[in-house]
Amino acid sequence: MRRLGLVPYLMTAPANTLVGLFILLPAACVLALSFMQSSYGLAVTFVGLENYTKLLHDRYFWRSALNTFIVVNAIVYLELLLALGLTGVMPPPGPLCRIIISIIILPYAVSEVVGVLIIKYMFDPGAGVIAYWLHALGLPELAWTTRPGDALVLVILLTVWLHMPFTFLIVYTARLGLPAELYEAARTDGAGAWQRFRHVTLPLLMPAILVAVAFRYIFAFRLFPEVWLLTQGGPARQTEVLAVYLYKCAFRYYDFGLASATAWAMVILSLLIAAPYFRSMHRRRFDSAR
Amino acid sequence: MRARSMRRRVIGCAKAVVIVLAVLWSTFPIFLVVSSSFKRTSDIFAVPLKIVFEPTVENYVGLWRDWSVFFTGLVNSLVITIGATLLTVVGSALAGWVFSRCSGRYFTGSAFALIILRLIPPIVITLPLFPIANVIGLNDTHILLIALYATFFVSLGAWIMKAFFNQVPRELEEAAANDGASLHQILLHITMPLAVPGMIAAAVFIFIFSWNDYLFAFIFTTSRAKTAPVILSEIMGSATGVDWGILFAAASIQLVPIVIFVIFLQKYLMAGLTAGSMKG
Repeated sequence: MRRLGLVPYLMTAPANTLVGLFILLPAACVLALSFMQSSYGLAVTFVGLENYTKLLHDRYFWRSALNTFIVVNAIVYLELLLALGLTGVMPPPGPLCRIIISIIILPYAVSEVVGVLIIKYMFDPGAGVIAYWLHALGLPELAWTTRPGDALVLVILLTVWLHMPFTFLIVYTARLGLPAELYEAARTDGAGAWQRFRHVTLPLLMPAILVAVAFRYIFAFRLFPEVWLLTQGGPARQTEVLAVYLYKCAFRYYDFGLASATAWAMVILSLLIAAPYFRSMHRRRFDSAR
Repeated sequence: MRARSMRRRVIGCAKAVVIVLAVLWSTFPIFLVVSSSFKRTSDIFAVPLKIVFEPTVENYVGLWRDWSVFFTGLVNSLVITIGATLLTVVGSALAGWVFSRCSGRYFTGSAFALIILRLIPPIVITLPLFPIANVIGLNDTHILLIALYATFFVSLGAWIMKAFFNQVPRELEEAAANDGASLHQILLHITMPLAVPGMIAAAVFIFIFSWNDYLFAFIFTTSRAKTAPVILSEIMGSATGVDWGILFAAASIQLVPIVIFVIFLQKYLMAGLTAGSMKG
């Protein structure tokens, strides 16, 4: 095609402007702020790494980091297990299959607020439906209003419910793309169902699984509404995750410096989580371009 | 031979059971919300759960009476969602075409920068944005939320569009150019119409996200631009004690349209996921 001149630059301008103005610039501000002391009614002063040292000595930060670590890992791997299991039992493509998929992905449309409402209703100690069934089965009830561990279990349950459709769709569409001949071959070689899964399906699905897991790590890491609306991080700040810790630093204790240091800790952790995935994506792109 | 067919039948049954469980897992909570919205307060917490009950619309009437602000919130949500969707689709289509057609360091770099910056957790950027938006009077406006939602989906959108434009043969554009069509005409009359499925795929994601988002709406709105999820959370945390019937009515109104939307556009959702995640 003939030369386009400035046109492509103009065409990418809206996307670049939005991301530059609302992500790049604020992120740079946050980086600068993380070296300052700043609160309402106080002059902004440069304090070097003081915010970061303060952060590392705050036991509530470590508590929220630990909670995030546990919750995120539980979410990502539970979702993956459920998605793989469901992929294995799906009927062959057809109308029935399409109906089942549209039902399974429904939670994807539910907002976190409605999700928390459902959890609060079903697990209401004493009156909730599930709480009642748990009691009827002789199981201990989840005292999520008083016991931090129980509250985090509900956060995990809710997040898995909301986001498993995403993992499932990625894994399932990848499974559809695997050639049937491979399975014929494996069967003639006498491979059982488990062996076929272990030595044919799993290795071939690995790229898709990595994509799903990377995406879900990054998004689960941001976890905020589920925790905020269920417990506000309580009791005694025991159920805070990093985003809740950050929110409280900034909008409740007005310590913008400390909040910014937390924010950058989150940015760096996010990028670290994503790094291996992006390296492989970049490599693939250049291999195919060659 | 018989043992084998027996075995196959058992496995088939087990699979069916798992599918049924998965269907229940996905639908039961949604069913609870919608059915409870038609129950009297005494029926909502009846044990065991009442599947059959005498339906009533009094919760919806109560919602209209006590929380009319919820309906303002719905209108705000709709305006913001449509605005953000349009902005995202236009921005993504323009950038996606460039990423598909133009090579060169600037565009490759820009495509990757868009994706990498998008990894930054949204709550991070609220820190400096909140005071700045306050000063320039953007807090509590529809515009700010539209821009924020579009920002966080324009990169995924651009990559989805890039994958779809890759499927549109360049020869079509070249032939039209040889016939003397301008770039503007080519894009508007040839390329863009062929990429409409891609635009719908990109639109589905941003639409669901902006309709449901809590974080940005919670931080950046105080009254005029409050969205439905935020008001829903206020009904849930109401200081005078929660009226569960009214809460379920509001939740159903927020939930049911988007659920129907997803059912109808499922095909595009799947196409968008594949294009956005695999074909990078």
